[in-house]
Amino acid sequence: MSIEYTDVQLDALRELANIGSGKASTALSMLLGRAVDISVPKAHALSFADAVEAAGDHEQEVTGIVLGIVGDLDGVVLLLITPEDADTVCEILGVEPGSEYAPSALGEVANIVGSSYINALAEMTGMAIEPTPPATATDMLGAIVESVLAGQAHAGDVALMLDSELAVEGSDCSIAFMLVPSEDGVGELLERLGLG
Amino acid sequence: METMVRMGELAISDTPGDVLVSLGLGSCIGLALVDKRAGVAGLAHIVLPATTGTPKPEAMNKFADHAVPALVDGMVERGASRMFLQASLVGGASMFAGTASKTLEVGSRNAVAVREQIARRRVPVVAEAVGGSRGRTVRVDVTSGTVSVREAGGTEEVLAA
Repeated sequence: MSIEYTDVQLDALRELANIGSGKASTALSMLLGRAVDISVPKAHALSFADAVEAAGDHEQEVTGIVLGIVGDLDGVVLLLITPEDADTVCEILGVEPGSEYAPSALGEVANIVGSSYINALAEMTGMAIEPTPPATATDMLGAIVESVLAGQAHAGDVALMLDSELAVEGSDCSIAFMLVPSEDGVGELLERLGLG
Repeated sequence: METMVRMGELAISDTPGDVLVSLGLGSCIGLALVDKRAGVAGLAHIVLPATTGTPKPEAMNKFADHAVPALVDGMVERGASRMFLQASLVGGASMFAGTASKTLEVGSRNAVAVREQIARRRVPVVAEAVGGSRGRTVRVDVTSGTVSVREAGGTEEVLAA
């Protein structure tokens, strides 16, 4: 099955991502007590191989935190943060970087940020969706992204990635943010937007 | 020359000096086949255990049930002898251990599927670096038939020489 998206559809998905990441940045800002800037979201419809490539250097070490989406939409939200930036986030939260509490603190950040994103999606589309608890891995970027894509893979070879970046002001620290709906999930999203 | 074998891709080479590489394997399996006598090596970057739906032809090598026979046949076409093929498996990690989402536990299912397919073609598996929770990079040297693996945060080590 071949899936291609029109510019109008990609624009609409980008707008969804924009509003979602706006909510996510507000949540992050409240959590950290700092201003948070968001980048203009990008919507990519790419082959799997190109999608991994687009994420960055395959062997770069990053921390990935993944939240599944259950309900009317099948997909995942993936947050990516470099180890240095993860340390900065921990410091802002008053958690010792690298300590046993660091992964759960980051998981909680992802939970709050990801949940507000998912809730914004639910509000905009009228879908009943909920996040699953976060899972965290620090590893090669390529390995993290490909594993997430493999989990969403169906017959098609097109991965839709909506990504944006949340930058914490005054700390040189940012979190990249991706919504990866399954192929069925994309159709469902577009249908709810009247563009199916 | 290094040839990148990306997600869902497959490459075969008989050119001395070539190195086939899959960077950052997570739940995917890098299946390396070598015939040292013939100087032919191949690598498939397998994403899922079995074909679902009706994928486009160019997406077929994502799936173990298609990619494994395609790799074996391709090797033979390039002059490898079926009798002297040796397989190494790399990857199949569970990156997000303990997650509630079963769809992320693709790694172990991939490993089972690739082993089954390779056994069906009577190709011996000489080495494995499979499972666990770390990402891995695999390199296959066409000249020597050496397969080496680097785990995230580690150094490159020879898996099969």
